[in-house]
Amino acid sequence: MEKILEVKNLSTAFATDSDLITVLDGVSFDLIKGKTLGIVGESGCGKSVTSLSIMRLLPRPAGRITGGEVLYRGTDLTKISLGEMHKIRGNKIAMIFQEPMTALNPVQKIGDQLGESFRLHFPNMNDDEVRAQSLNMLESVGISDIRRRLREYPHQLSGGIRQRVMIAIALACKPDILIADEPTTALDVTIQAQILKLIKDLQKENGMSVMFITHDLGVIAEICDDVVVMYTGHVVEKGSVNDIFENPKHPYTKGLLESIPRLEHPRKTKLKIIEGMVPDLLNLPSGCRFGNRCPYIVDECKQKVPVLEKVLDAHYSKCLKHASFMKENV
Amino acid sequence: MTAYFARRLLLIVPTFIGITLMVFTITRMVPGGPLERMMSKMQQMDQSSNVGKSTNNNSNKSSALSEDQQEQLKIYYGLDRPIYISYFIWLKKVVTFDLGTSTRYNEPVWEIIKSKFHVSLTYGLLVLVISYLVSIPMGIYKALKHSSIFDNISSAFIFIGYSIPNYVIGIGLIVIFAANLDLFPMGGFASENFSDLTMFEKFADIVWHAFLPVTSYLAASFAGMTFLMKNTMMDNLSADYVRTAMAKGLSFRKAVVGHALRNSLIPIATSFGNSISVLVMGSFLVETVFNIDGFGLLGYESVVERDYPVVLGVLVISSLLFLIGNILSDICVALVDPRVQFSE
Repeated sequence: MEKILEVKNLSTAFATDSDLITVLDGVSFDLIKGKTLGIVGESGCGKSVTSLSIMRLLPRPAGRITGGEVLYRGTDLTKISLGEMHKIRGNKIAMIFQEPMTALNPVQKIGDQLGESFRLHFPNMNDDEVRAQSLNMLESVGISDIRRRLREYPHQLSGGIRQRVMIAIALACKPDILIADEPTTALDVTIQAQILKLIKDLQKENGMSVMFITHDLGVIAEICDDVVVMYTGHVVEKGSVNDIFENPKHPYTKGLLESIPRLEHPRKTKLKIIEGMVPDLLNLPSGCRFGNRCPYIVDECKQKVPVLEKVLDAHYSKCLKHASFMKENV
Repeated sequence: MTAYFARRLLLIVPTFIGITLMVFTITRMVPGGPLERMMSKMQQMDQSSNVGKSTNNNSNKSSALSEDQQEQLKIYYGLDRPIYISYFIWLKKVVTFDLGTSTRYNEPVWEIIKSKFHVSLTYGLLVLVISYLVSIPMGIYKALKHSSIFDNISSAFIFIGYSIPNYVIGIGLIVIFAANLDLFPMGGFASENFSDLTMFEKFADIVWHAFLPVTSYLAASFAGMTFLMKNTMMDNLSADYVRTAMAKGLSFRKAVVGHALRNSLIPIATSFGNSISVLVMGSFLVETVFNIDGFGLLGYESVVERDYPVVLGVLVISSLLFLIGNILSDICVALVDPRVQFSE
């Protein structure tokens, strides 16, 4: 099991006028070659910031990596020069974004935006080769009438087609890693399923690794091999998809799973929710960060800051009471 | 697209008739006019011939011209007919490029307007070219260096320039640079000995004279354009597609030049067509301050003097330029923004 990307103790902070807010606090996980890693958590937990930190695309000048390492094939991406990073972005590590409606340049033809990837990373390609490769990519992401699409502008395409174009752009240079930041959130359910299948098929073809960021546990269950659960900039639990879904060892993960509506529940059953609000990152509770919302909280949780502890094999949990935390009817 | 612009061009006709008919009617309704001016002139002459005989100068107040003479003058100026008939007579002449005769100078209006064109055109072009050449790069630079010292200081200067009326800036510039330092002329369009100068000296002379007035025109036009450019650029810099471009492996610089820039120019293009009317519309206040005999001053004086053929002549030129400018703006936007399509 070759680790293609190792994130070690990664911390990222954003500067405001008065403070430096730590948004990622010691995040660690591994991405295995050819596998799919899901990162799940609610809005503001640091999922997207993790992906932007790996790509070094944090909004400047506010955002910066304050510590840790991102090892891609043994090279620390946080230490290399910008020039070297440009050669990795789009070529070795590619990314697709949540909002296909705005992620494409509105005044450039699809052919130009797709061709740009080839021209950038393969400067020796001539125009005909770029065109042939572009048509090839559009075909592989399941777009019809490809010759006409090359001449069209983003506003002439539907959301689903735009996301397919985004995937085509991302996969143009056959990257080792695809980071997909909520690629299906803005799409309707049928298109979601198509896009997920497409990513899975292309992954099988290219043997690439996928880092899939979402807040949709259904999507995670469908396509991921491993899962990282994040909360307020921490990894609170990680493990295989089976570990997480069958035997959650953190009350937050358990809460997330319980709040999925189930077909077998009788109608009008009140949906279970996680009580309370995500704490303000500038005003975190002492001890466990999930403490203010945790139904299993004991005094010890308020004093001691939990660490990520091994539960079993590759299953980790950041809960002091994970040993006594029994699987209930999920 | 062609159909759209053909329709827009045809729409100029009713709009133009609307504008001119309204102003034409107003010129007939407001007190004062060529007749009254003529009468007061007569009266003055009457009074000056009555100097010494100070007895009954109140009694013949309105009788400087006899009823008969007044009627003759009315016929001469075409004031005897109803408004709509005179309007159509005027309009018919305008269509054949005849703007009538100035009641003040007794010269064809077209000749008078033509004699001011080169002045207004010179200043208009200078202001236009300089403001685009400076504002666009400056807006881009300020967007890239947002909240830097350069950004803050330049913003302060731009806002000061924007808040002071341009004729006040003009007066200030004259006091400092013309009166005290004696670096630039007090006003005028060119030197007295202009016709004796060589080609290059002529050019230098015009630039030398234009420096202060153009500066005071620019003070105001800088602000709008620079901030429009800066703000749209900042919007586009944080746009998702710039992040996409960088995720492809483009450097920030290339992402800005290749992607953010063209999108940022769309709002600038919206106002580009209208700048053709800027070419002939000088501010009469600035022209007064600098003693420039241009379009703005002509328009103002003709209104004050009730020289209606000239008022209407200036209106014809400026409203046509404005209407055509609007269509040009639409064409510019359609050229830079593929999302804009003018078809049903």
